[in-house]
Amino acid sequence: METAELKQQLKKQIIEFLNLISVKPEDIKDDEPLFGEGLGLDSIDSIELIVLLGREYGITIQDPKEGRKILVDINTMVSYIEQHRTK
Amino acid sequence: MPMFYIHQTSCISPQQTFDSVDISVLHQPVEHKLKVIEPVATGIPMGTLRRMSKAVRMGVMAALPLLQDGTEPAGIIIGTANAGMEDCFYFLKQMVDYNEGLLTPGNFVQSTPNALASQLSMLKQNHGYNITHVHLGLAFENAMTDAGMMIKENPRNNYLLGAVDDIPSYNYILNSLAGWFKKEPFALEDLYTLQTPGSIAGEGTAMFLVNGNPEDAIAQLRAVETIHTEEEEAVKQRLKYFLEKNLINGEEIDVLITGENGDSRLLHYYLACEEMMPHTTGIARFKHMCGEYPTATAMALWLGCYILQKNPVPSHIIKKSFSKKNCKTILIYNNYKGGQHSFILLSVPGCF
Repeated sequence: METAELKQQLKKQIIEFLNLISVKPEDIKDDEPLFGEGLGLDSIDSIELIVLLGREYGITIQDPKEGRKILVDINTMVSYIEQHRTK
Repeated sequence: MPMFYIHQTSCISPQQTFDSVDISVLHQPVEHKLKVIEPVATGIPMGTLRRMSKAVRMGVMAALPLLQDGTEPAGIIIGTANAGMEDCFYFLKQMVDYNEGLLTPGNFVQSTPNALASQLSMLKQNHGYNITHVHLGLAFENAMTDAGMMIKENPRNNYLLGAVDDIPSYNYILNSLAGWFKKEPFALEDLYTLQTPGSIAGEGTAMFLVNGNPEDAIAQLRAVETIHTEEEEAVKQRLKYFLEKNLINGEEIDVLITGENGDSRLLHYYLACEEMMPHTTGIARFKHMCGEYPTATAMALWLGCYILQKNPVPSHIIKKSFSKKNCKTILIYNNYKGGQHSFILLSVPGCF
């Protein structure tokens, strides 16, 4: 899968998993922070995103510090998925 | 004698009962279900709103108008049978689908019946009494009894009292298979004349701001009685006892609001209660407006308050006519699946 296609798919999955009412994939910028500013996600959402990575891409994140580096924005997530996906 | 006084009401139902109330026109079912008209959610942080299930969302939306202007209730008392059930099913399904692996916390957090009361508490930073009663078809009645006891001890305190239930998809399937809902499509106007088993699935929420102060109150909730039985004679005996105990000498029921729901198997309970009323008592029905669900009596209580406030009463709720002008005392009788019965006595505050 091309990176651009993967980004689009991931945005759709984030919207669905987190029930982001009235957010469209094109509203999420690739380099926009997912937490705090930007989408304004919180700690519960971070767990939802870790579950998403496990279910959809077969990625298991054990170390919370590792999670913080991955769940920065769409670019960092996609980069990690491309390198570590098992499905 | 006073249990408590109702000062404000709010109701979200399949009819236009929220914001600009207009119940003259009946909104018809969608896919055999009477679903609520959900207002646009305002005053709820987006991060909180997107995690709310439908039951929690509509309960919060109904409650917020009663908590404006700095009203600080001393407690939040909710009755519900199924709130949180949809998330509970989703959460359990995930456990199976993902072989008890990593599960999402959102559904788990919302999967319990007290999700509404706790969300209201967090939204309004209310640290008072917070409780949810879950006695299926008598959940709201138990919430009312609880509110009555709290107010007896603390008559100056305000309490937010309410009920909520939506139509969880699994429950709908199970209740349909058990024959509690009619299979054939029909117009709401025909609900009471089909003479077939089953009713129509419904949902709704009603909230009340209550305290022990009669001044400027809309209505006085005088008594609540519940009974578990399938025997019609036991229901009649309990109603006789309830009326003897609570009506003042010479007082009569002006309007009986019944939970008649179109299920031919349950009709005899309602007819038995109707026959016990004097010939002057009017009769009103409400299940064609909201459908059948465990806490539908909250909608009946809202309707009772609506009638006592001398609002226009549409003809579709009237089974036997009554004088709106002289209406002072209302009795609500409901039963859930023929096993859980309740009587609620309501009147104009200060008239007795």
